[in-house]
Amino acid sequence: MLFSKSRKHKVVSTGTAETVARVKGFVVDPVTRHVVALVVGKSKQGDTLPWRGISGFGPDAVTVADEAAIGPADEPIAALAGKSNTMLKKQAISSFGDHIGTVTDVAFNGDTGAIESVLIDGEPVPADRFLGVGSFAVVIEAEPTP
Amino acid sequence: MRSSEVSQRPVVTIAGDDVAQVKDIVYAADGGSVLGFTLAGRGLFSGPLREVLPWSNVAALGSDALIVKDEDALTDPAALESDSGGSVGKGGNILGSRVLTDTGTDLGVVVDAIVEVAGGHEQCDVVGYEIESSEALENAGTKVLIPLPDTMAASGEHLIVPASARNFVRKDLAGFGAAVDEFREQLQGRSN
Repeated sequence: MLFSKSRKHKVVSTGTAETVARVKGFVVDPVTRHVVALVVGKSKQGDTLPWRGISGFGPDAVTVADEAAIGPADEPIAALAGKSNTMLKKQAISSFGDHIGTVTDVAFNGDTGAIESVLIDGEPVPADRFLGVGSFAVVIEAEPTP
Repeated sequence: MRSSEVSQRPVVTIAGDDVAQVKDIVYAADGGSVLGFTLAGRGLFSGPLREVLPWSNVAALGSDALIVKDEDALTDPAALESDSGGSVGKGGNILGSRVLTDTGTDLGVVVDAIVEVAGGHEQCDVVGYEIESSEALENAGTKVLIPLPDTMAASGEHLIVPASARNFVRKDLAGFGAAVDEFREQLQGRSN
């Protein structure tokens, strides 16, 4: 599953079969390398859908049991949300301090939310080299020099 | 790299946040290595920061950013002042010094320092200076690069280099690293 492909997914309630919100963004925890929540729009409940509230993340829609899964961001998620933590289109630098490109996409597991790889100028970099995302850049562990 | 290229470079944590930017470089009193950096805030209207960044807290010096582990890398200025011979806040008293050979020829005025991260990561060496050359060198008035020995005497007024440094003057950074190595090897050969 790619960020770019699922960014405008509908959020559908399986209880009422209605579209209750639309995906606007992703909240990533760089320490656990997981998507911890989705930022959603067009819902009266709030703007955050925590990952545990998701019933299914499919190729065409995100399903939730009930619209009540959406709410305002709680403390740990609010700390990770915000513009400085978005990854798409942010510059990537290595842990040696060199610019290596721009984040074009992020691949993640639709079942667990685990980040699988970060695509930099289209080239996938395995998630275990993803160190952090902040106001300046996405930091990627430099490949050890042979 | 030229030390002037390092100033204004952002200081970025592993978490990707830019916590400061380099204002000035603090050199060791003998001019042979970089002790650390003074800092300014990020953004157009942020002034200088009180905290400094000692070299020991720098994880990497790259072409686009200085990487630090986290914000705790920025410390109290006292950490640098004792070793720097009071150059903190003045941009180092190396720029503007006259380079004098040990035989008494004035080679020119220091306009920039060339730094290189050496020995794994132990220190950030000053390997050479960019000087505005005096009449003693060909092309007087132009900027040339001169390699430095490992250790030397510096007073803020003068820097003393061995006379043979003249033979290793280069016009640009390409090939300068090799000139530094050759020069230092030759000096070691002489002392052995």
